[in-house]
Amino acid sequence: MTMSRDLIVNLVIFALLVAVAVGAEIAGQGFTVTLATKAAILGLAGVGLNLALGYGGLVSFGHAAFFGIGGYVTGIFASHAANGDPITTLPFTLMGSNEMLGIWPMAMLAAAVAALLIGALSLRTTGVYFIMVTLAFAQMIYYFAISWPRYGGEDGLSFYVRNKFPGLNTLVPIQYFAICAGLLGLALLFTAVVTQSRFGLALQATRQNEQRSTAVGIRATPVRLTAFVLSAMITALAGALYADLNRFVSPSMFSWHMSGEIMVFVILGGVGRLCGPVAGAAVFILLEHLLGPVSDHWQALLGLMLLAIVLFAPGGLIGLVLKALRRADHV
Amino acid sequence: MSDPILSIRGLKKSFGALTATDDVSLDLFPGEIHALIGPNGAGKSTLIKQIVGEIRPNAGTISFEGQVIDRLDAAARARLGLARSFQVSSVIPDFTVLQNVMLAVAGADGHVFRFHLPALMDKTLTEPALFHISHAGLAGREGTPASVLSHGERRKLEIAMALALRPRAFLLDEPMAGMGLEGAKQLTTILSDLRAEAPILLVEHDMDAVFALADRISVLVYGRIIATGTVAEIRANPQVRQSYLGEEA
Amino acid sequence: MLLAEQVLNGLQYGMMLFLMAAGLTLVFGVMGLINLAHGSLYMVGAFACAAVAAWTGSFWLGLAASLAAAAGAGALVEMLVIRRLYPRDHLDQVLATFALILVFSEGTRWLFGSFPMYLTLPPALSGAVTLPGGLQYPFFRLVIIAVGAAVALGLWVLITRTRLGIRIRAGEADREMIGALGVDIARLYTIVFALGAALAGLAGALVGSIQSVQVGMGEPVLILAFVVIVIGGIGSIKGALIGALLVGMTDTLGKAVIPPIFARFMEVSAANTTGSAVASMLIYILMAVVLLVRPQGLFGARG
Repeated sequence: MTMSRDLIVNLVIFALLVAVAVGAEIAGQGFTVTLATKAAILGLAGVGLNLALGYGGLVSFGHAAFFGIGGYVTGIFASHAANGDPITTLPFTLMGSNEMLGIWPMAMLAAAVAALLIGALSLRTTGVYFIMVTLAFAQMIYYFAISWPRYGGEDGLSFYVRNKFPGLNTLVPIQYFAICAGLLGLALLFTAVVTQSRFGLALQATRQNEQRSTAVGIRATPVRLTAFVLSAMITALAGALYADLNRFVSPSMFSWHMSGEIMVFVILGGVGRLCGPVAGAAVFILLEHLLGPVSDHWQALLGLMLLAIVLFAPGGLIGLVLKALRRADHV
Repeated sequence: MSDPILSIRGLKKSFGALTATDDVSLDLFPGEIHALIGPNGAGKSTLIKQIVGEIRPNAGTISFEGQVIDRLDAAARARLGLARSFQVSSVIPDFTVLQNVMLAVAGADGHVFRFHLPALMDKTLTEPALFHISHAGLAGREGTPASVLSHGERRKLEIAMALALRPRAFLLDEPMAGMGLEGAKQLTTILSDLRAEAPILLVEHDMDAVFALADRISVLVYGRIIATGTVAEIRANPQVRQSYLGEEA
Repeated sequence: MLLAEQVLNGLQYGMMLFLMAAGLTLVFGVMGLINLAHGSLYMVGAFACAAVAAWTGSFWLGLAASLAAAAGAGALVEMLVIRRLYPRDHLDQVLATFALILVFSEGTRWLFGSFPMYLTLPPALSGAVTLPGGLQYPFFRLVIIAVGAAVALGLWVLITRTRLGIRIRAGEADREMIGALGVDIARLYTIVFALGAALAGLAGALVGSIQSVQVGMGEPVLILAFVVIVIGGIGSIKGALIGALLVGMTDTLGKAVIPPIFARFMEVSAANTTGSAVASMLIYILMAVVLLVRPQGLFGARG
């Protein structure tokens, strides 16, 4: 019974997001459509992290590295497409591109390579060390991005035209939302399939009891590394979409603050819950939108809220909702 | 006598000045229950850790089914069929009994990187798991989360998981620990029957169980085996009586 | 001599990192807690120093204020929030202390605004000294090196020679046991946390005096302290010192030496940009090497 209730809650969250965007479009509220798009994108970033964090138990505080990689791959390809210069001529000539369908695989591939390296090194540690190491590697990329002037350095990189998607006009907000929501849906489906598979069983087992997993013949590190790489690819895709949304990338996409934000989306919604990050991202954007104008210091309130959730409601918002529903059962 | 399934020769392990394992040699033959007894602090858990592959010994060698396994890690040894249970039950708490055993089936299988098929719909996992669950006496509890199982049921779950490994030898670490009288009797019967699956290296404190089950006994004191023999031989051995049993008899 | 100057800079940088890392590693060693808000305490120390120095005109009062404010903020935060986190897993600790960063940062921004503040050093500490060999070096930077060394010595004395130190070492070894032995754990933890906070605040004040004081100054230093701890080994003050000096030297010397080396192979402006980009990654590469060779850190406990 609880299983299908989880499924319903997940479907409702996704449906709500789509409903908000469609409703806003009909009502002529273009800005709200953009907000919903942002929620979908940041939710996607969180879905990626959730795979490693929620299901795998890997507290990666450096996922912004992959978010930024996705963003910068997009920005680099787009800006080279605009000025016609090749990105590199060794070992083969790589030209820019402004086709999303061409850029996304490149973004995910770049993130996969980075995650393989970072993951292989970081997984030599556990616990607190792992958290610190993942944070440190993300910071390394951040500093590199700042000191590499070719793509704007600290000021970042703008590209004027949003990349193209066959059959759609990506500059129309609701159409771009459709792309982002579509990818989010695919990622959610992917996560659901993977976590219910044999691999998902092994992953969640290593999270809960590594010793027992080893005793039944399952080595934790390859399983974790795989989850880490998959999670990085999803978060990178979000970064690519984010870059196209703003037509701008900057080193702040790599910052520790961004890593923390992505983690906040996951926690707010509920760790290890399929649509948790989507709910969390939506709430975050709502807060930013509602409280931002009230005070520049709205993030202090976010901090207090986060503190309250960690201390008193560890299941996140979805956990609270499910608890309330369960209580309603008994009334 | 046929060849031993598990053969340990000259195992040594020191932690700084402390010698935890001092030139230990022992064999586990097919069809037998070989009990390992000794006072607390004798080094039983260190020895177990070296056998399963959690710790590297300083010297000595371990062979399993004729193959030297010194270089293999714990997961590889488990896949070879060296099935262990833990002194403090170690299960996956949020998984059901079925999921726990399915995990063991998957691990033994060696094919963990399958992404597309939902595990619960995978007959190659569920059918063997259900079989081992009923074999271990847990029929009817498949859907129960492991965290709410009783102590005795958790012990049975560990046995089910051990069975799922298609074991060639069992290494059971104090399975009787924490069992009440009735549960201990049940478990003793289960263990006796288990002998038919594969030989058991049984580390135990519960002397009733040891004398009821063991074909042979080795006595570990201060990291060294001071005697190996049948139950009668060990009971009569003056050295053993003095350093271990003597304290109880 | 340029190299000697960079070596001293590296030493000074390393000492500052040591102040940060020592507090972090102490808290983790004794309480098993990872604290992301450590950078905020660094910032609090810097702001307290700048604010009090501005109001009273005395740098020395500012310095005293930085220690008091950081220790006080640390103790307060420990009693209100941190204490609830000891039994929680690391993820919860990370999130809660990240939340604290947000509160501290925005709170400080609300009080002081977003623009950097500057400190003027008193005449006694400013100016340069002439070192043997003819190098002119800022006196204050030498002071920082001396302070770092003094703190290292002081911590060593504290941990090996005092009752508090014994409790700290016992607590690192077995948390439950010291409670059973009648030690007031709650008070011990608050003291340790406040001590770590004071060190961070001191570092903030010292660095704030030579650079600037602004919101967000603490987090980059926090992350560097993490690198130090990974290299040196968690829970080890000696590891924190060696790690900090290694990181400080590698970073400073790397940034000084690599661009000129690159300039031998490529034209100057490319050498400068590529060189400084590579140099900025050097300490992380060092960390990666340590991870490959000795993942528990140079002085960390094995397993």
